[in-house]
Order: sequence, then structure tokens, then C-alpha cells
Amino acid sequence: MKVQGSKFKVFAYLLFAILLSAGTASATLTAKANHDRITVDFFYHGSTVSVRGVSDPGTDLIVKIASPEGEQTLGQKGKVGGLLWMNVGKLTFERVPSLYFIESTKNLTDILSEEEMNKYVLGYSALEKHAEVTPVSSPAEREKWFDEFVSFKTASKLYTASYGKITTTQEGGNQQYYILLDWPYQASPGEYTVSVYAVKNNKVVEQAETKVSVEQVGVVKSLATMAKGNAAVYGLISILAALGAGFGVGLVFRKGGGAH
Amino acid sequence: MYLYLPVALTSINILIPIGLGLAVGLLSGLFGVGGGFLMTPLLIMFGIPSTVAAATDSNQIVAASTSGTYAHWKVGNVDFKMGLYLLIGGFVGGLGGVQAIKLLKAMGNADFVIKMTYVLMLGIVGTYMFFESLASMRKKKTETSKPAKESGLSKFLKSLPMQTHFEKSGVTHSALIPIIFGSFVGVLAAVMGVGGGFLMVPVMVYILRMPMHVVVGTSLFQILFNCIEVTFLQAYTNHSVDFVLAVLLLIGSTFGAQVGAVFGRKLKGEQLKIILAVIVLVVTVKIVYDLTASPSLLLSMGGGH
Repeated sequence: MKVQGSKFKVFAYLLFAILLSAGTASATLTAKANHDRITVDFFYHGSTVSVRGVSDPGTDLIVKIASPEGEQTLGQKGKVGGLLWMNVGKLTFERVPSLYFIESTKNLTDILSEEEMNKYVLGYSALEKHAEVTPVSSPAEREKWFDEFVSFKTASKLYTASYGKITTTQEGGNQQYYILLDWPYQASPGEYTVSVYAVKNNKVVEQAETKVSVEQVGVVKSLATMAKGNAAVYGLISILAALGAGFGVGLVFRKGGGAH
Repeated sequence: MYLYLPVALTSINILIPIGLGLAVGLLSGLFGVGGGFLMTPLLIMFGIPSTVAAATDSNQIVAASTSGTYAHWKVGNVDFKMGLYLLIGGFVGGLGGVQAIKLLKAMGNADFVIKMTYVLMLGIVGTYMFFESLASMRKKKTETSKPAKESGLSKFLKSLPMQTHFEKSGVTHSALIPIIFGSFVGVLAAVMGVGGGFLMVPVMVYILRMPMHVVVGTSLFQILFNCIEVTFLQAYTNHSVDFVLAVLLLIGSTFGAQVGAVFGRKLKGEQLKIILAVIVLVVTVKIVYDLTASPSLLLSMGGGH
């Protein structure tokens, strides 16, 4: 039964695809990033990522770049005794990406229903509903601290949300889109997913995906790997280098300064 | 020019760490402090994660204090015997301090206690040193040095067993004194997460009655060993030492320490003390300001202290 079911599904998809391509002269949504691999060497100071592709004419577009979701624990500042600001506890944010960029052709709330935003986790309010924040005592507090979380992430350039940066041009019945984004050096090595959503009548009608990976290379990679994988040797080398530098400069000064 | 830091995972203009190293190294050579109480917050301000900032700073201090100890040793200003006793005390105190932090964290008010200890210690030490050196500078002008009256404390210290003479410093103390006060500084330093040079220097000056120039050299000597230990532990257990950042910092700090040592010889003990007191007080004011001003962000990395 199961086999038959899946066969039927494949058939249905095929039929659907044929109908789509035959019925309308629509282009399938495509997405391509300018580079799928950003290499981090000693002189890395961030990069740029451009995303381009083809979409149906008349559709609005949303570009989301996000790291895999994870958990992040942050120190929580509060006033003690009504006077002094200090860390009063910790907050854990779960199911949040460490990097989250959201760009759209128009204001998200104008082109997409709330349900759809929540379904695809598009926009900060959708992300807030998707995330878990602990410990918070009330929904109001949850909202307050999630806003603080977004401010914290925005300050380190890891979260951005804006609209109007995507340019579209109509060409031969197709719509070409293009966006150029600054890629912050604060984004840690890892794989990031670029998702493009085509939107019509408040609904996501099509989706395309591509990846951008950030990788350390060369000496940067060796040092980072050694610091974690061979910590004792790494520590000893750090100490010896510091001792050597201290003595070295001391000797240079003795010669140069003429003091004894 | 920017360089990428493989452990801090951030990019920094190399002039910033070199400049910071130079400035803090200068203070180190002048006053015998590691300067962690200045360097760590500055690095955090420039976007280095706090754990990496503290660990990498201790790696850098290894270089600065080697350079500084060497410079002071050449002119005979390091009391190795005193340094050794202080080290023993500091080591024991450090172990106790780590336990104290665990206890505070379990009680849930670690940050409050740590911040308050920091402000009080800096404030008291800075104020005392400031007025004391001001008074002794005035006294020097009117009368030539009269032997200070023996206080109750120094009488008590003289009555302790295991009296031994420290030749370089020209003082006689019970061996217990540097060990006990060393461990006291060790506890506080571990609780505050700093090297404790700014506490050790006043202890040597006011309790051990060592001459200021020997204090600076000896303090650097014991800071060197503390920071070797801390660097290794941080690298081994927390993986938080950034070698590239440390190299950039030590380029500045090793030179700064030499310049500081040379410059320090031209200043009198009281002058050195009063400048250090002013720096400590300025840092205290800055910390108090940070505690009372509304922060722009209510969340912070790591959640440690």
C-alpha cells in the first residue's frame, strides 16, 4: 500500500509540474548566490553576498539568509536595588538562528498574511513566535526580551530586516531580481541557507534555495583547529612565544639603550 | 590594516591591539601591574568576546612581564625570595578563590559580589595610596625622612615566627606574612578575574614596607608566573586564548614595558605611587559609571562576569 501511495504521489507531482509549465508561461523561481563559499583568511574583513534569479512577473520576493537554528544563552542585565546595572541572570533563546537576514521587495506585512509569515518564519514577529525564551514569567516579558535579543544581534550585525533593497527588472516575460548584501565578519564559520520566496496574494507561491558556506582556510584554520583539538600544545606554544618575545625585546633594549 | 582573529572569530584593525599593548605595557613597566583591569574591558569594548579577552590578555601579560622583569632585574630591582613567598601564597589563594566563585554562583548573586568587591577594592586602594603618597611628598619637602613610628600592625608582624631577612628589599619579616597576604590577594584576584597586581603593589609597599622600585620588579616577577598558569589553564580548558591577538598585543606591550621601566627609574617612589593611585581611581569611577548608567543593550555574551 505504501509503495503504491508514494508512486501515486510522484505521479501527482509530475502531473502538477506538467500542468504548471504548460498552463502558464511562468518561470520557475531560481536563486543563485554570487559565491557559495566564503573563505576566511588572515585578511578577511567580511564580504558581500549577492543573490539573483528569475521569478514570475508580478510576484513579490522575500530573501532570507539564516544559519541553522540553535540555542544561545545570554547574560541578562537588570537593576539591582534600583540603582546598579548588573548581570542578574541568564536567558536561553532556543530555536533561533545565529544569523538571520530578511529582505523583501515591499514591507512584509503588506505582502504576506500573518499565517504565512509564521509558517515560513519570515520576519522578527514570526521568529519570536517560533523561538523559545526561558525563563520568562509573562508574554509581555517574553516579547520585551526577544526585542532585546534582536537589538543585541543587530548590534553585532548578525540580524537585519529591511525591504526595498531587492531590485527587479522585467525581461522577456520573466522577472529578474537581484540583491547585494554586506556579509559581516562577525558571522562564524558554518553553512548558511539562502531561501527565496515568491509571494502573490498574501501567500508564498514558490520557494527556491541555495547555500553559502563560510570556511576558515590556511593558517587561520590551523590555529583555530589547534586551539580546540590540541589545546595543551597550543597553550604551551602561546606561553613560549610570549616568553621569547619578552626576552627578545629585553635583549634588544639592552643593546640599543646602552644601559646595563 | 585589518587582521582576522581565529579564536575570537572577529576582525580587528591591528593598530588597536598594538596601541593598547603599548599603553598597558608602559603602565606595567612603570608600576608593576599586569594591567588586566584596564586591558580586558578595553578589548571587550572593541568587540572581542569577554572570555577570549581575559584569556588572551593573560597570555600577553606573560610577554610584558617577562620584558619588564628582565628590565628591572638588570638594575637589581627584583626580590626573588619575596616573589617566591608571594607566589606560594597567591597559588593557595587562587585555589580558594575559585571555590569561592563556585559557591557565589550557586548562591546566585555572584555578579553583585564580584562587582562590589572590585569597586570597593579599587576605591579603597586608590584613595589610600593617593592620600598617603600626597602626604609623604609634602613631608619630604619640609623635613628629611624621619623613621616612621611603629604601628600596632607592624609590631604584631614582628612578633610572628619564622622571621627572615629579604636582602634585596632590605626588610625582615616572618615568611608567613608574604604567604598570607599573597593568598589574600590570590583569593580576591580569582574572584574578580584579574591578576591582582594593583592589589599586590600596595600590599608590598604598605604592609611589607618594600622600597617602591623593588616592589615594581618583584610584582612583575610574580605576575609572570601567575599569568603563565592562567594562560595554560584558559587555553587547555576554555580554548579561549587567541594567539594572533596575543601576538599583536605583545608587540606593543613588550616595548611599552621596557620604556616604562626606563622611565620609572627617573621618577621617585611617591610620584609613581600617586600616578598609579590616580589611574586606579579613574578606573573605579568608570566602573561605577558603567554600573549606574542605563546600558544600551540589556543582553550580553556569555553571561559571565
